[in-house]
Amino acid sequence: MRTKRLLVLSLILAAGCKPPTPAEQMDSILSWIGTAGMAGDAWLRHTTPDTYTRQTLELSSETLGQISKDLLESPPAMVDTAALHRVLTETSKRITRMAALISAKDAPDFARQLDSLRTDQKTVKALADSIEAKQ
Amino acid sequence: MKKFLQIALGIVTSVGGFLEIGSVTTAAQAGASFGYKLLWAILIGTICLIFLVEMSGRFSAVSKHTIVDAMRERFGFPFFSIVLFGMVLVAFMVLVAELGGIGLSLQILTGIGFPWWAIPVSFVVWLLMWKGTFGLIENGVSLLGLVTICFVVAAVKLHPDWHHAARGLLPALEGDQKAKYGFVAVSILGASISPYLMYFYSSGAIEDEWDVSYIPINRVIAFFGMSFGGVLSMAVLVTSALALQPNGIDIDKFDQAALLMTTALPRWGFYLFAVSMLIACLGAALEISLAISYFFAQGFGWNWSESLTPSKDARFCLTYTIIILLAAVPLLLHIDPIKVTMISMALTAATLPLAIIPFLFLMNDPIYLGEHRNGWISNSVVGIVILISFVLAVISIPLQIIGG
Repeated sequence: MRTKRLLVLSLILAAGCKPPTPAEQMDSILSWIGTAGMAGDAWLRHTTPDTYTRQTLELSSETLGQISKDLLESPPAMVDTAALHRVLTETSKRITRMAALISAKDAPDFARQLDSLRTDQKTVKALADSIEAKQ
Repeated sequence: MKKFLQIALGIVTSVGGFLEIGSVTTAAQAGASFGYKLLWAILIGTICLIFLVEMSGRFSAVSKHTIVDAMRERFGFPFFSIVLFGMVLVAFMVLVAELGGIGLSLQILTGIGFPWWAIPVSFVVWLLMWKGTFGLIENGVSLLGLVTICFVVAAVKLHPDWHHAARGLLPALEGDQKAKYGFVAVSILGASISPYLMYFYSSGAIEDEWDVSYIPINRVIAFFGMSFGGVLSMAVLVTSALALQPNGIDIDKFDQAALLMTTALPRWGFYLFAVSMLIACLGAALEISLAISYFFAQGFGWNWSESLTPSKDARFCLTYTIIILLAAVPLLLHIDPIKVTMISMALTAATLPLAIIPFLFLMNDPIYLGEHRNGWISNSVVGIVILISFVLAVISIPLQIIGG
């Protein structure tokens, strides 16, 4: 009897699981852009090995792409979806490019991409703030 | 002089053996998500652990029983089997997390994914258990674990606002993200107040043949050792609040946590983090494997001692062999050790009453402890912290599940 009750409770909890809100998704996106930025910065200062940095950038790009896809499937209301789509796609591609530049050991181009990533981060942050304000 | 050396060694090994994947991950996540606001959870977890460790040592030194042995004797086998099931299940999940932590440390150092490390790491842990003695496990790995002091150096080098940090030592409610705040607080408490540590410590006191004369030494070791350990956890939280939070990083993966010390210690921070985690998780994996085996052997009345040869305590050795082998399976299946860590820490907190309440009964039993039984301060402190952990766990775990 007790087992049955526990099972029913678990099913209710599982059914109650809801997907993350757009604001939470934007927080995750910002977290992964921040990770890519910090890992990139550390690599430029020769404080992290190539393999780790490349793998972290690839993971960041992959996760960012997945969260962006989920977010854009049901985009938040009152937000410029086209602009959101553009900046997220560009950011994801930029991080992938940074990962490739590590293999090529092209630090100058890597530094330029990192600067652009910082600009992307500000744009995404502004969009995240507007989404949070409208929730 | 001999006792002074024992105290020094005890404190040093407690410091080295305190950190493991649970305490590092939960503290780093707390710092990255909530700044200094969850320092209080580490503080009360550490205070409770000081009392529990002191009680465990005192219990074994006076009664000449381990906690498990006495629990079965005092409450009977049916009740003991419930505690056994709950404790072994949670400790097994923590073991998976620790083996995963070693694998993840090797992954960031070599680039080879953690599932590939599951078997070699499990084999090394098993081999150390099979060939090693209790002294080697207790002192050797824990002494190496002193490298974790680098977290304190990193925190100090980031020049935290100490006044602001001190405010985090007082519990406060979080405005946003209440469920996550509660869940991380519960996980920190679960990571700090690990029942396996009590079983390990109590069995260690019997292995080292403690008697009543060890009570003062036990008190000093419990206080200073666990306090320094708590400081290490707080240093992880502070470093995370200063290095990761400004970058908006919220720790979901181990790769993100690996950036923790790259700002404060640019030259060695990354490698120190990886090596610290490797050693800390190895030490914890050995302690948990031993604790689970102690639980079975003492509960079922088998021969047990890490210092005996395997032929003299075959069932004890078979238990850790099977447990270590089984713990490698989830890692081979690519189950994320960080997720296992967070869930197992929260479950540890939720099941604390199961482990601690019977122990409190034992600690107040004059048959076992005579005049050395607990006073009201020990009972109250431990009782209140366990109640807080349980209530927080019951509220925040379902909320976190519902919140996705």
